[in-house]
Amino acid sequence: MRGQSRLIGRRLAQIIPVIVLATFVVFGLLHLVPGDIAFTLAGENATDARIAQIRESYGLDRPFLVQYASWLWNALHFDLSRSYLSNEPVLNQILHRFPTTLLIVCGALSISLTIGIPLGILAATKPESRLDAAVTSLASLGVAVPNFWLAMLLVATFALSLNWFPATGAVAFAKDPAKSILHAALPALALAAGGVAEVARQLRSGLIEILSSQYVRTLHAKGLSPAAILWKHGLKNVSVNLLTVIGLLVNRLLGATVVVEAVFAIPGMGSLIVHAAINKDFPVVQGVVLAMVVVVICMNLLIDILYTILDPRVALK
Amino acid sequence: MIRLNGLDRRDFLALLGATTAASGSAYAQAAPKRGGILRVSAPANPSSLDPATGGSGSDHVFLYTMFDTLVAFDYETLRPMPGLAESWSYPAPTTLVLNIRPGVLFHDGTPCDAAAVKFNLDRNRKGERSNIKGDLVTVADVTVTGPNQVTIRLTEPDTAMPLILSDRAGMMCSPKAVEERGKDHDRNPVGAGPWKFVSWANAEKVVTTRHEKYWRPDRPYLDGVELAVITEVQTGLRSVVAGQNDFAYQLLPSQKPVIDRAKGLVAVTGPTLYCVQMFFNCAIAPVNDVRVRQAMNFAIDRDEFNKATMNGLSEPAVVTMPSAHWAHDPIMAKYYPYDPDKARKLLAEAGYKDGLDVQAIGFSDQRWQQRQEVIIEQYRKVGIRIRFTNGTVAETSASFNTERKVPVFLSAWTGRPDPTSTYQLMFGEGAYYNAARVAATPEIGPALQATRAVEDTESRRKAFAKLQRLVTENALLIPLVFQFELDAHSQKVKGFKPNLLGKPKFENVWLEG
Repeated sequence: MRGQSRLIGRRLAQIIPVIVLATFVVFGLLHLVPGDIAFTLAGENATDARIAQIRESYGLDRPFLVQYASWLWNALHFDLSRSYLSNEPVLNQILHRFPTTLLIVCGALSISLTIGIPLGILAATKPESRLDAAVTSLASLGVAVPNFWLAMLLVATFALSLNWFPATGAVAFAKDPAKSILHAALPALALAAGGVAEVARQLRSGLIEILSSQYVRTLHAKGLSPAAILWKHGLKNVSVNLLTVIGLLVNRLLGATVVVEAVFAIPGMGSLIVHAAINKDFPVVQGVVLAMVVVVICMNLLIDILYTILDPRVALK
Repeated sequence: MIRLNGLDRRDFLALLGATTAASGSAYAQAAPKRGGILRVSAPANPSSLDPATGGSGSDHVFLYTMFDTLVAFDYETLRPMPGLAESWSYPAPTTLVLNIRPGVLFHDGTPCDAAAVKFNLDRNRKGERSNIKGDLVTVADVTVTGPNQVTIRLTEPDTAMPLILSDRAGMMCSPKAVEERGKDHDRNPVGAGPWKFVSWANAEKVVTTRHEKYWRPDRPYLDGVELAVITEVQTGLRSVVAGQNDFAYQLLPSQKPVIDRAKGLVAVTGPTLYCVQMFFNCAIAPVNDVRVRQAMNFAIDRDEFNKATMNGLSEPAVVTMPSAHWAHDPIMAKYYPYDPDKARKLLAEAGYKDGLDVQAIGFSDQRWQQRQEVIIEQYRKVGIRIRFTNGTVAETSASFNTERKVPVFLSAWTGRPDPTSTYQLMFGEGAYYNAARVAATPEIGPALQATRAVEDTESRRKAFAKLQRLVTENALLIPLVFQFELDAHSQKVKGFKPNLLGKPKFENVWLEG
């Protein structure tokens, strides 16, 4: 228990430097890119004077470090500022859009695990068989297929031809759960292809290694049934590997939503940051990066805690 | 007559059919019906829903639903027509009198009378957050001269003013709402248009509903208009194919075959002022030499450019106004035929016998890169080695118009209702889009002024012809093509007609079934 607390403490202590580093790098990169949001804000009939006035009123004429420090100071007081473009509080935008992205990511993760785990187990219990070859090939295909292409294929088939699913948009889960899931189904499926492959492949290789180990041979010799060996010993041992895969998968899925949200016109975090980055809407970019970093850190922390539950040696180390 | 260079017979007939269906069906079919919500896929999020504080050309489609303008315009020619101002006159060259339509109410029930018009015009020309001060720069003062009459005193003759008042500057907001809401009026506007604002989920959807006390008794037909922001136009079109939306606009020429193949979809197309063109900074070598600029104009095969990059869905451009526009100059439109020999000769005269290198900037998306490739190849044939550096709209515009260190910018001009604004903004002294900031020749200033000094259309057309001659002879620009508007809607959408501004209005639209 003390080990677990120390681990959580260590991870929490890392949050601040990681957030500062990530947001500083993103802020710096946005400043390195040429262009000026004052031009966008000034409109099509802009005059040099109007552009200068906007720069001054938004504080864009201040030195880079001053601008960053000002943003960080406000963020520490839970004020993520307002979007330059829409004048909406950034926090409101994030809270409005994050559930949509989260639903898609959770859907993709569920599909990845629901299909990937049985496939991995099947392949591992019958290594070198036709089934194993089929699963391995399918997994390779899943990794190779670009999700935006798969997304368009799914739209063409299930939305435009069969009319089973909506082709675009999203509905808030709180407003209409059934409709919300219906809207998220195709994007989640498109995102899940890589996840299914990843889970199946990692589980297969992990299980094959464990099932061919000496201690499993001993279990066989003691007369345990293959099913008992698989469920009680094999899967328990491979679960730490699986957790690692899940952790990485969630982080990757969060990033991949950028493309899929564009294909399905979903107002989520991906489309929010793309629009903001293109237009150099710093407060929104910083806010989304901050939210994503916090989510990734929390996810990693959760995985670390689960490691210690499944394998107490991790905490002791 | 609209030139349809680059279209084959089948395309032309399809286009003709679609256009006829779009324009003629409204009159050939049953009477308009009231009711229903029009669901529109919009390609961009509005910058603001307050006409004075917004800045993007893509805002207008949203704004038109909620704001009526003092002056309206004819869809096909952009000639001014009565709007909230039922008539106007110039008793003296520097005095414009607007007679405001009586009985018009804003969505909040307050009257849109002379006092409200004065409030709006003063706010637009002097307000701290106004982005449209430049439009009203010739207004000296605005006086209420009757309950429904406003007199605008001008600093110089300006007959461009009526059409300027058909744009943002003429969109009337409720003074009460502006004063009460302040900055929040950007996101919660009150106008006097056919529909009133309900909600705006940023980058997601703008919802409007019928203005029950709208001044035109038979309009609007629709109970509401909902504009879903779908920035990917391919996805926007898919949303119409799937039946989630009824209408998508500003689609790409490459999507025309998709619309034609889709069941139950109608393609609507028509000419617009949107011109794909190359801007010059005439203060920078080598384009500070008029012979180089002329050579660059002669070296462009606009018909090939149209076929290769626009699927033939555009009108090759040599002058600043398209052939459908009242100020189009048919003589100057023939000034720069494709003539590579003449281009080489001009380059040799300018001292570039062995060719020349030109730096340019442009946009980084695939569509624009394709245009650049065609230009690079066409210029290569005459010895012009043009190199593009690409970026986003904000980056490149700032680089060309603010930093002003690049000689050539491949971009587009979205058009303005009055041609004087277009010429003034691109060629006027100190104008933002004139990267050199000085007029290319001293005659430009007086020629520009002359277009504002006469009132009737014919006299103005002649004034614009003189101005266009200066622009064309001095090769101040390389117009390439006027892009056609391409919209798609479901068959239940009736009565829609495109306009020359290329920004759809839904005031005459109704839904069947």
